[in-house]
Amino acid sequence: MQYSQKVLDHFMHPHNVGKMDNPDAEATEGSPACGDQVTVYLKVNDQTKTIEDISFLSYGCASNIATASIITDMAKGKTLEEAKNITWKDAMDALDGLPPVKVHCSVLAADTLQSAISNYEIEHGLKEVPDFGKATIEEELKKIIYPQVGEDIIALKMVKYIGFQDGEVTIDLNIMKFDQWRDNIAEEIREHLMKYPDVKKITINLP
Amino acid sequence: MQPGRIYLDNCVTTCPAPEVLAAMQPYLQEKFWFPGTFISTGESTNEMISRSQQLIADTLGAKPNEIHFTSGGTLANNIAIKGLANAYKQQGRHIIVSVVDYPDLLTNAAYLEKNGFEVTYLSSDSEGFISLEELKNAIRKDTILFMTTYVNHTVGTIQPLSEIKAILDSADHKIYFHLDAGQGYGKVPLKVNELGIDTMSISAHKIHGPQGIGALYQKTGTKLAQLIHGVKRVDNLQTGGLGIALIAGFAQAAELVCSDFERNTAYLRELSNYLLEKLEKEIPFVELNGPRGEKRAPHNINVSIDFIEGEAITMMLDQKGITVATGSACASEGLKANYILMAMGKTHIQSHGSMKFTISRYTTKAELDETVQALAKITQELRNRSPLYLAMNKEK
Repeated sequence: MQYSQKVLDHFMHPHNVGKMDNPDAEATEGSPACGDQVTVYLKVNDQTKTIEDISFLSYGCASNIATASIITDMAKGKTLEEAKNITWKDAMDALDGLPPVKVHCSVLAADTLQSAISNYEIEHGLKEVPDFGKATIEEELKKIIYPQVGEDIIALKMVKYIGFQDGEVTIDLNIMKFDQWRDNIAEEIREHLMKYPDVKKITINLP
Repeated sequence: MQPGRIYLDNCVTTCPAPEVLAAMQPYLQEKFWFPGTFISTGESTNEMISRSQQLIADTLGAKPNEIHFTSGGTLANNIAIKGLANAYKQQGRHIIVSVVDYPDLLTNAAYLEKNGFEVTYLSSDSEGFISLEELKNAIRKDTILFMTTYVNHTVGTIQPLSEIKAILDSADHKIYFHLDAGQGYGKVPLKVNELGIDTMSISAHKIHGPQGIGALYQKTGTKLAQLIHGVKRVDNLQTGGLGIALIAGFAQAAELVCSDFERNTAYLRELSNYLLEKLEKEIPFVELNGPRGEKRAPHNINVSIDFIEGEAITMMLDQKGITVATGSACASEGLKANYILMAMGKTHIQSHGSMKFTISRYTTKAELDETVQALAKITQELRNRSPLYLAMNKEK
């Protein structure tokens, strides 16, 4: 398991790093307890809706810092609509790949970029705060990577059922007892969903 | 050793000493024979093995026939733990271990737990010492085995073996005492006859010996149920072939580190004190994990560096030719925070930012100077990227 030269370059000499004064929008995702936290700042042209400047801060590993560096490069100069299409897979490809166990670290940077764009749109009346529901839960689960293979748990059909009623999220997972990543995945699901004020209780059922 | 690289991960493995390689050489070439009787080739190997057993036994206060060669510390731990449990299961099925023990002990305990044994896990205090009070209370009529790790592999805590032994002896029946001394051998005083140990594991590559060879101490009269079955070549407990040259190398390494034990360990202590002092002086927000001073093994310094993450630090140091270890979840195979630090009550952030430096007889002060200098620069660079550091500065 080794990092590509591109990962090392972006990690050792990251682009767009640092706090931005008076940003038009910002977002912070992740938590120190999980080992990584990213903040993304945006400066957006009010007329063209182009990202004129972007920067990030990262408490995280080499993979996390390198992804934040390259994804901010990719977003700079793009319109918000264009930048919305940037995914963690694009960032990973641009970095010449990541070891599977490290893919989950790259998702956070992509996620934070999307949250910053979303915050801009909400703050500038371009969209409403989305209602929390099954669709939001599914979007969050798409950000959870199964470390063995570096794919998300929805794509890998590890989620059998998603339910949301009266503040309670119910998720049935198809991850066997002997799977070494079972606890990590369940813990990560909780961390992703707990940040939503609509979520009062999370029940994860495992075989 | 790779020229120019500073290697500070000696608790994982050490660079073989030149004297060790020289001692192994004849047994890799002209004297490659397995032991045997009556014929000169086999007898020559017998003689070397006996000499090696004698030498290692002398360093431990043991008898030569109490030393069994194994293919490493993990094998020695397996043969001893499963061997003791199965040999004495008629007398009871209760085992005591602690949450801060080496993975060999914990995985064996978990295996036994699934196979009809009951295990009590003692907790740790904030410095990595196991709770002696809990040990006293954990002992039952059916307790047959207590096992522990002499020197903690993460924070260097030296468990108080004499006090532990006194508690075990206060029981009204025999409780067997297995010790993992992988990190302790050659670093802290270790005489099995004085400590009253029943079985113990040690490993050559932790003391500048070759990788792939260890030893199991089995006190005379202690029974071990056979774990590995097969042809007896070198030893009756680990059957099958064992590297003859590795045994010669192990004995040489043991002689090297134990013949001048006081001076060797004083050097390690001096260096680790120097490193800690420099780290604390030159890098702000650094906190020592584990005990300070004589209750800590002389080769281990473990600190948490606040606001930044350990995998990034180790990667940057690696790029500068410096090898160290971290307890960050991001650097672990299982993506979990270091279980020792968590059991000591440290936070996730302290574990993710923990850095372990383990030094050896070949480490120099100049290397430590270079390491701290590089680390100070890296720390500042990563803190400048860190939202946590920024938030702390804002609060101030």
